Amino acid sequence: MNSHRVAAAATAAIAIVLFALTFGFEQMPEGITRGFGAEVFPRLVLGTIVALSVALFLTSPTGAPLERIPAMVYYSAAAVIAFMALVPLAGMLPAMFLFLLALGRMWGERRAWMLALCAVVLTALVWAVFVKGFGVQLPRGYLF
Amino acid sequence: MEAFVAGMGLLLDPKILLVVFLGTLIGIVVGALPGISGSTTTALLLPFTITMGPVPAIAFLGPIYCAANFGGSITAILINSPGDPSASATAFDGYPMARRGEAGRALGMSAVASAFGGIFSVIVLIIAAPLLARVAYSFGPPEYFALAVFGLSMVAMTGGDSMLKNLIAGAFGVWLATVGQDLTTGVERYTFGIHSFTDGIEFIPVLIGLFALTELLEQAAQLKNRVEVARLSAVRLPSWQDVKDCSKAIFLSSGLGTFIGILPALGATTAAMIAYVETRRWSKNKEQFGKGAIEGVAGPEAANNAAVGGAMVPTLALGIPGSTTTAIILAGLIVQGVRPGPHLFTEQPLLLYAVFSSMLLANLLYLVLGLGFAKVFARISLIPAPLLWPGVFVLSVIGAYAPNQSMAEVWVAIAFGFIGFFMRRYGFSPAPLVIGLVLGRMVEETLKQSLLIFDLSWGGFLGRPIAMTLFGLTVLFLLAPWVLRKLRR
Repeated sequence: MNSHRVAAAATAAIAIVLFALTFGFEQMPEGITRGFGAEVFPRLVLGTIVALSVALFLTSPTGAPLERIPAMVYYSAAAVIAFMALVPLAGMLPAMFLFLLALGRMWGERRAWMLALCAVVLTALVWAVFVKGFGVQLPRGYLF
Repeated sequence: MEAFVAGMGLLLDPKILLVVFLGTLIGIVVGALPGISGSTTTALLLPFTITMGPVPAIAFLGPIYCAANFGGSITAILINSPGDPSASATAFDGYPMARRGEAGRALGMSAVASAFGGIFSVIVLIIAAPLLARVAYSFGPPEYFALAVFGLSMVAMTGGDSMLKNLIAGAFGVWLATVGQDLTTGVERYTFGIHSFTDGIEFIPVLIGLFALTELLEQAAQLKNRVEVARLSAVRLPSWQDVKDCSKAIFLSSGLGTFIGILPALGATTAAMIAYVETRRWSKNKEQFGKGAIEGVAGPEAANNAAVGGAMVPTLALGIPGSTTTAIILAGLIVQGVRPGPHLFTEQPLLLYAVFSSMLLANLLYLVLGLGFAKVFARISLIPAPLLWPGVFVLSVIGAYAPNQSMAEVWVAIAFGFIGFFMRRYGFSPAPLVIGLVLGRMVEETLKQSLLIFDLSWGGFLGRPIAMTLFGLTVLFLLAPWVLRKLRR
């Protein structure tokens, strides 16, 4: 199946699931809904999406299958998730510092001093501008 | 007139002058950085404008939008990689010019054409927006519903690889706006018990995710690409002969760009592409296009900057975004408690004139900065990706977290970063989704109000000529490409 059809099938499937979820919305008396319940508009929109997806599936030209996603995308996504996992443990500022070092290194920067300099400067800037300047309370971790 | 003078007087306020200058500078710098577009920057910096108040916020965001288009031309000309998508057409002739040693001439023409197009469109904005607002003042919910549907239909042409995909993305944006408590009944929709979804999905994390974080993943996929940089000795003002040769292209493209900008959802990139084709069509030197024709730089640059002022017309007068970046600016104004529309002209004229004056000043500022410091900006464009993008991620996280100091919103941003990556991979542009999200509430509210007025009868729309005209235009715009294709066969 070509990428257009995969996309059409996926969007239709998502819309159908979301449509089904509208049956779980709390029901209100007619006097409150005035004939236009909370589920009506989402159903209209999702019905439109299903119709458009069917049209896309039927009219999509044949296309070559998509190229594989480069491994670096997965590694970078993993680094983002790792950052989020690290925040409750180490706190946001230390997690940012480590993320700047790790992703920069992973993406090919070999000058350790340059990486360290950028990580220190950017983390310090975030602290000075947001914590001290704007009074934003960044999440603290168990360790820091 | 009083408000206009007061608006212009804002430029004497050192604080406003500073934010306009900073906005222009940031706009050029980020425009020159490949991958970071005006939309990405506006989304990224939106959270930081919340504490500023509406007038300085718009005086900051407007110039970023103006200057990013020009900044994008610097890398388009020097490294054949447009820093902003709107500069894509500039690369067709700008880079060949740079390769034969005329980078300075190309950049000079780009700065002059951009400034002319930008100033032209701001003048149109000053004249057209109040007129449009006066017309729209008599609009009721049915007309606004029809207008929003028209705006949504225009997303069909905003990028992505098919009209249907754009419409699907736009409709998903509208659906996304339904998340949270229904305003009429108080019923919670799609909140899944998550408290922070009760008031709906916040714009800022979605925008940051779709633009900045998606771009991070896109950049990860392109790390092996290397760029070849053309030499730049100095930027110089175009000669009198260059101005004469390009004047037709600049005038034509300024008009075209402004018109395309005014159409809902269509922005600078579409304007630049169409202007390039039209400049070539009306040029005496057609055969030079693609090989380094200076008109091929002037036309798209005048058009993409003219589209900025044009896009502001429906945004301010009707509350319907004229482009992706104006959708983000619109979201920023809504976050500030300002709902653009015709009433803005009577209720908050100062805000409007702050937009006009800051955009005028920005167009003059980037002309000066562009001519004087293009060499410096060109160097910025060479910051290595391993140093730049982790920093963009850090700013994204802070941007998503800071407004409500909530980690849930950082998770939302990250989720939309991944969603945006897969959307782009499968040919869906995130721009229609953003426009759908911004317009979603308006569509639902005006539809509900209309049906209440019509006693729940859809036939009631038939008695509203303006609404029916807008529905007719919607059908026309949606069917026109299909009909034209059939006719060509």
